[in-house]
Amino acid sequence: MAKAFKYGLKGITGFLEPAERELLRSLFDDVVSMLEPGDSGSQDPLAAMIGLDMDVREPSDRALRRLLPNVMKDDGAASLEFRQLTERSLRETKIGALRAAALDLDKDELVLADADARHWSMALNDVRLVLAERLDIQDEADADHVHQMQDWSQAEDVESYLALVYNFTTWLQESLVQAMLQAMESQP
Amino acid sequence: MTLSVALGPDTQESTQTGTAVSTGTLTAPDIPWNLVIWNDPVNLMSYVSYVFQSYFGYSETKANKLMMEVHKKGRSIVAHGSKEQVEQHAVAMHGYGLWATVEKATGGNSGGGKSGGPGKGKGKRG
Repeated sequence: MAKAFKYGLKGITGFLEPAERELLRSLFDDVVSMLEPGDSGSQDPLAAMIGLDMDVREPSDRALRRLLPNVMKDDGAASLEFRQLTERSLRETKIGALRAAALDLDKDELVLADADARHWSMALNDVRLVLAERLDIQDEADADHVHQMQDWSQAEDVESYLALVYNFTTWLQESLVQAMLQAMESQP
Repeated sequence: MTLSVALGPDTQESTQTGTAVSTGTLTAPDIPWNLVIWNDPVNLMSYVSYVFQSYFGYSETKANKLMMEVHKKGRSIVAHGSKEQVEQHAVAMHGYGLWATVEKATGGNSGGGKSGGPGKGKGKRG
């Protein structure tokens, strides 16, 4: 079984079983492939270099729309314009955090410096946002319902399996953030 | 949480940012935009508070107050600034996975923290 992340003399440490590492690696990879821009071949190289993407549209996939939300609530045109300027680099930020966390999974010991921990918290959060869309978690009641699923022996279909994975990543992120808050407290 | 974590009174923030645009001349017409964080059932309360503390440099008390406002009222104005400033904050919040939007301030500054300020020097993370 995984152990909760802890803040101590070595920094933030965690422990994950090989199967849990495997699971997290595939979750991080899945979200990375969702976020990788599709047809970069047709991009104007100069525009790509400075991070512009004039072909970008609001994502049709709900999970992707949650990862890359509109910047204005009721102004689609202005949001799209902003997206053209910023979405590419936002995707890169997220992919960077997910890849960094995946790399840490290759190490024998899980010891996270401040920046590593931040990448992990962002990566776990993005994974949870995607899983939550797949599980159709729309409000607190849905979240409570999913949270009740704690017994791996009951995983009999895709939905219950996803719920268990969601609860595992939630628990892991919560323990990590608690350790990060503790670390922040002791390093003013 | 010890007091040493608190980074000083909020009112001093705009003089400490070190960016030329945000010092001195913050008259009303220059700060007409809000950064809004929306509630969702996924993001952990602890994580939202962590982001407010580490990104904006807010004290634990202020971060928790804003986080609870998001949680209970569905949204909270967590910073003010020029359009460019709040847009930059919004992208950073999206990087963290928080649901953030920007909006024109509608006078009166009714909601949110007392004076969010454009954030401190830590704003370039993430």
